[in-house]
Parts: sequence; C-alpha cells; structure tokens
Amino acid sequence: MSLFQWLGLSVLAVLAVLTVSAGVRGQVRKRIVTFWLLVWGGGAVLLVWPSSAAIAAHKLGIGRGADLLLYSSVLVMFSGFFYVYTRFRRLDRQITMLVRRLAIENAARPAAGSSHDG
Amino acid sequence: MSGATPSTKPSTYELSAADRARTFIVIAAFNEARAIGQVVRELREAAFPNVVVVDDGSRDDTADQARAAGAVVLTHLINRGQGAALQTGLSYALRAGADYLATFDADGQHDVADLPAMLGPIMHGEVEICLGSRFLGVRAKMPKLRRAVLFGAVLFTRITSRIKLTDAHNGLRALSRRAALGIDLQLDRMAHASEIVDQIASCGLSYREVPVHIRYTAYSLAKGQKSSAALRVAFDYLIGRVFR
Repeated sequence: MSLFQWLGLSVLAVLAVLTVSAGVRGQVRKRIVTFWLLVWGGGAVLLVWPSSAAIAAHKLGIGRGADLLLYSSVLVMFSGFFYVYTRFRRLDRQITMLVRRLAIENAARPAAGSSHDG
Repeated sequence: MSGATPSTKPSTYELSAADRARTFIVIAAFNEARAIGQVVRELREAAFPNVVVVDDGSRDDTADQARAAGAVVLTHLINRGQGAALQTGLSYALRAGADYLATFDADGQHDVADLPAMLGPIMHGEVEICLGSRFLGVRAKMPKLRRAVLFGAVLFTRITSRIKLTDAHNGLRALSRRAALGIDLQLDRMAHASEIVDQIASCGLSYREVPVHIRYTAYSLAKGQKSSAALRVAFDYLIGRVFR
C-alpha cells in the first residue's frame, strides 16, 4: 500500500474511534454514529480498493468512478445543507418562543403618574 | 370562507369609554425612541387605556419612552422581527383579557382618528377583522416606487391567499378576541402581513377593509421598509409556506 493509503486509513481509524467514543458517552445518537461509521468505512474501502468505485459506478450506469464520487458528494452536501437549514429554522422558532415568553412574563407596567385616565 | 363586505359607507362608529377599555392597542417598536412617545400619548389621549408596546430589542430608549408615555412595555431581549413582536403583543393582550385588539405602527404613520372606524364594525359584530387600506377612499400622497411595490404586494397576496385586498401590507388592523385567538404568526420578520391574510382565509374569519389615512412623513419613510426589501419578504413568505 502507498503512503497516501496508510495516512488516509489512519485518519479514518481515528475518526471512527472518535465517533464510537462520542456514541458511547451519549453525545451523539446511535443512528448518527451508524451513519458516520458507514461513511468512514466507505472511505476505507475506496482507499484500499480504488477500483470498487468504478465497479459500483458501472453498475449504476455512471461512466466513471470519479463521477460517482462527485455525484454522491454533491447529494450528501445538499442533504447536509437541508438538514442544517431545517435545524436552523427550528432553532429560530424556539428562540422566538423563548424571547416571547420572557417578554410576557416580565411585562413592565406604565410608569407611575403617566396615566391620563382611570 | 366569508367574503369581504364593501365598506363604502363613511365611518359613523362611536366608541364608548367601556369599549375603549376593553380594547388593547398593540405596537411593535424597533429603535423608535423618537416617535413612540408621541404615538402612545396620542392613543392615551384618545382614551385607549391599554397600549402595549413590544420593544423588539431596540438599542435606543424606546422602552423608556413608551413606558413614560403610559404604555405597558414588553421587551424582546433579542430582536426577533415585526411579526414576532406583534404576536408577542397579541398573546399578552389576550392573556390580559382583551376583547378587541388593534395593531398600530410605532413610527406615527397611522392616525388615531381611524380607530373607531376600524374597531366599530367588530364591536357591532359585523366582522371579525378590519384591515386598514390606504388605497380605499382618500388617496394618500405616496412616492411612485412605493405605490408600485405595494401594488405588487397586493397582487402577490391575491395569488397566494386568494383574498382580494386593495392594500396587503398595512400595519393598522383591528381584531376580535376570537380572531386574535385564531391567528398565530410564525413568520418572524415582515412576511407576517401576508401570513395574517392567509390565516384569515384558512380560519374563515369575516373581514373588511377600511380606508385609513397614512402620514408619510420624512421620518416614517426613512424608518420604514425600503422598497427593495419586498423580495426578501416574498422569499420569507414562500419558504414559510413550504416549511409549515
């Protein structure tokens, strides 16, 4: 194996260990841990056996392995954007509700002596 | 869905002191220290005892000015936008037992004298919501670009909500308690104006447009929405429809 492959594999191994330990400590949900382990595993397969991309691409009717990688990364990126965007919107709503609750509970009555009427 | 009833007859509604006491005027204010005091005082002098100012995270002394003028002040610790502030004020007023509610702009562009014509039809049980329109009846002097953008907004609202209005983005509105309970503004920024119209349609609330007078002062024009903000508003609104 080349130096690049060794480097890549060790980086992926570190990432996998970090992912699993975050899962064990309960910082990340199991489904998310599984997702990332699949990503790191897929990366490892591609590193060790580069022609697998070409074989998969051929099966899917895409010409080259590099194209398959490009398409799938664009797909992953856009679903990532979408996920972050929906998260952001939810957070936005939650902040508004929090700010609203605080505003209503701490309503300031009019200053004394300012009332014109009963 | 109830249709709009024409409002060609002049405003002949008189509000009693008791009617005014059951009414809450809700004002969303962001950095309006120069104008808010006068607006609140005019409302108080017109014998509306319940003025609720939602200070939407202003950096100036909007809250102090409003409070000194006799308003109940609710403070958004962070700026959340006009839609969010109005919803805060409406929620507070409903909790405080409001029977009638009106939204009013903080920059002095609305005329207190228009309120009886807005609230009267609701108090008489004729409709649930009155929407102010600057294009019905008296013509307000208005810059050409502003007129064009507002016309675009009216068309946009007609297409998206299928409600025919002459003025889709007027901050002067009057609501019954029932109507206010049905309204839940989720769009925090400026697209709430279209959102309200949508909810009027989906709740089947009866509504009427009432001609109101808008004072386009140098201050309100400088402080108000830039015409170019219309695209942002449309985007917010459409995204809001997708992510309900």
